[in-house]
Amino acid sequence: MPSSARSRFSLRSMIALAAALAFGLVALVEPPAALAQKKVLNIAAKEPDSLDPHTSILGQTQAIKRFMYRGLTRFAIKDGKVTTAEVQPDLAESWTLSPDGTVWTFKLKKGVQFHKGFGELTAEDVKFSFERQIKRAPGTRFGVNLEVIKSIEVVDPHTVQIVLKSFDAIFLLRMVGYQQGYIISKKAVEKFGEQYKWNPVGTGPFYFDRHSPREKIVMKAFDKYHAGRPQIDEINWFDVPEDATKLIGLEKGTFDLLYPEAVTADFAGQVEKMGAIIDRRGPGQQERFYINMTKAPFDDIRVRRAFMHAIDRKAIKETMYPGGLGKLAISCVPPGYFGHIPMTFPEYDPEKAKKLLAEAGHPNGFTIKNYFISKSFFYPKVLTLAQEQLKKVGINVELQVVEHATFHENIRKNLNPFVLYGGTRITDADPWLSLFFDSKEIPDPATGNKGTNFAHYRAIDDLLAKGRLERDVKKRAAIYAEAQKRMEKDLVCLPITDVAGQWARNPKRVSTPFDPDYGEFSLHYSYNYPEMLKVLN
Amino acid sequence: MIAVPMLLGAMSIVFFAMRILPGDPCVAMMGDQATTEALADCTKNLGLHRPLAVQYVDYIWRSVQFDFGHSLRQGYPVSEYIARMFPHTLVLVLSSAVVAALIGIPIGIISALKRRSPLIDYPLRIIALLGLSMPVFWLGILLLIVFSLRLDIFPLIGGGDLDGVIQMIRTGEVFVYPRDFLAAVGDVLYHLTLPALALGFTLAATVSRLSRSAMLEVISQDYIRTARAKGQGERTVVYKHAFRNMMVPLLTIIGLFVAVALTGTVLTETVFTRPGLGKMLVDAIGARDYPLAQGAITVFTMIIIVVNLIVDMLYAVVDPRITYR
Repeated sequence: MPSSARSRFSLRSMIALAAALAFGLVALVEPPAALAQKKVLNIAAKEPDSLDPHTSILGQTQAIKRFMYRGLTRFAIKDGKVTTAEVQPDLAESWTLSPDGTVWTFKLKKGVQFHKGFGELTAEDVKFSFERQIKRAPGTRFGVNLEVIKSIEVVDPHTVQIVLKSFDAIFLLRMVGYQQGYIISKKAVEKFGEQYKWNPVGTGPFYFDRHSPREKIVMKAFDKYHAGRPQIDEINWFDVPEDATKLIGLEKGTFDLLYPEAVTADFAGQVEKMGAIIDRRGPGQQERFYINMTKAPFDDIRVRRAFMHAIDRKAIKETMYPGGLGKLAISCVPPGYFGHIPMTFPEYDPEKAKKLLAEAGHPNGFTIKNYFISKSFFYPKVLTLAQEQLKKVGINVELQVVEHATFHENIRKNLNPFVLYGGTRITDADPWLSLFFDSKEIPDPATGNKGTNFAHYRAIDDLLAKGRLERDVKKRAAIYAEAQKRMEKDLVCLPITDVAGQWARNPKRVSTPFDPDYGEFSLHYSYNYPEMLKVLN
Repeated sequence: MIAVPMLLGAMSIVFFAMRILPGDPCVAMMGDQATTEALADCTKNLGLHRPLAVQYVDYIWRSVQFDFGHSLRQGYPVSEYIARMFPHTLVLVLSSAVVAALIGIPIGIISALKRRSPLIDYPLRIIALLGLSMPVFWLGILLLIVFSLRLDIFPLIGGGDLDGVIQMIRTGEVFVYPRDFLAAVGDVLYHLTLPALALGFTLAATVSRLSRSAMLEVISQDYIRTARAKGQGERTVVYKHAFRNMMVPLLTIIGLFVAVALTGTVLTETVFTRPGLGKMLVDAIGARDYPLAQGAITVFTMIIIVVNLIVDMLYAVVDPRITYR
């Protein structure tokens, strides 16, 4: 029959054509040969939301900024390690501080070039970079860290004078190439306006080449980088949302570096199995408990001690971050912060806890009703573990799991007698302790104070005030050591885990001069010196 | 004309649903450390401090002019962003539809004709069931591990140089450099193979089940019995009489199917790390990027409306009894 023959023919020929097309076209595609000589680094991370360094707090955005931008100072490299507690000159050549401690004069390095022919770095660019943040230009969000500044004067093209409202011991840390500290090109911002966020111009080792949304960002080596051209010629920053895909890509060789969403024991196991390495960077994030010492029954120090005896910190750490995925925290000021000293905390001992509770008048323990906990991140997991442990000594915690924003709201209304909290701040004991233990930061719904002194601690105010005025480094360190000793005695804070910032790296493809195990500290959980990465073949 | 109120309805639902969702775009962008003043500043900069009614009217009025505003997060114009993502999603949906049809329809027909045959129908139905119960991300990762990692014949990520292909067509370079053009098309197809197979296979399961039941219904009709009674060969009965009649219910399904395929692109684009609308939409909703999410959903709605319009018109082609006046 003609009709049936026709349909058969068309169906068959269609299949044949499709197959031929598929195979023929696949054969046409050859691997690009030209890439062989170029040193190309392939990174799998998520897509940043902006390349304006003063705008975003997203992890991937903060990580990629460091490839393109630099600040007046940088975290020091000492004995082959990067420390976040000390700074060195970067774009600045040197600086002086006036005798009254309020006027910083920075001499800029000469001949530092901006990317894409935007000319030499001058004092105007420095003034502009800070002032746009202080004036809260739309989208910028780190101005709060520059509020100590009263005025900025351009003395000459290579000298800038910054006048402070009062002495600020951590001013040089604020000037580090990180968030508010990055220097951008004034000319570029004036030229691109709103479009600057995708036309970034900095002085860093790599310059922005192009962005294919949802695909990748390409950066290239900056020949005129002031500290010498990096070894890597080109960087592809791929937008890869799935950790599973990242791992396949690392094994296949598509990617050399991974920025994972979350490093679980399983993820770490797979990385190890394929012979890759996890680069761990402190200080990372600390997860800790604050105990409200004004709220009954925790106003009794015996109850606070019982609480600490009841919590098995090692068990929580090992369940959440087995092995090297996290470190048992040793101080309320994490390692990597200036002024940190190790502290001791009541050891895990449920029997002692029960005894102390009985002494304090709670032989049968007590119940905490309506304890609010965020349903996001580590909060619910850590708290359920703690809940089990507290139950064993008779402290019953009735949990209410709420949205993250509600949790933040409620802990500032003092609804929780003890508060679980996490975070990273500028790496110095002063901002850290001021945020969490200065009486000015005691949250109070009556006055609208939304501070974060959840312990309602008042005993180190004098030390904090003294520390802010102290200009001698050793004396400052001694002041914060004393503060930590007082906190150890008053039992107001129980740190659980310091969780590192972690990336996976194929060591056969990429090398870093720093020890993978905490050889490099950084605030943005990523490489502080991407120009020192080397592609090996 | 019914398309206009449908589109308007969908756009309104998206607008209000996005705002009912707990979570604020500023909080999503600025995180825990943001001060109250900073949040207020951000809200004002984004124009979110205006009354909801004003925002709504503004949004509808601009959308009518195809101006969806700028992405809150990345700052790109939404229409430009969507125009860039759309071709990637379109080729994925089309190619997986082809895969689904090539696998699904023959399986459906064969298993209907050999109904209850333990050697043909049952295994085919089991395959269909497998496809139905296999999530696309699982199949996707499996395909990636086998064909990309182990056998190393397909790429792991990306969508190929589709922008380049479109550019060449636009500028007419396609006639000047036909070899380059073919290579670029080849590259796109090369990147498309695994995603299209993964999404197509999971969709094929639905197609095969639906075409099986459509075929079963058709072959039990009187005219089929008449055709057989006339002494026509089985092939003619199947291809000439049954297949064409089966196409009417199948077309309806294809209309619905586009909606399913669009949903499937979300996971497919994520697993295969392809640029595209689906993945973009999910991220936009997560970040409470209102303009981007609204723009994407408007485009999705338009696609579904257009496809169903085409399906309606195709009825007349496959079934001469249906005419439009």
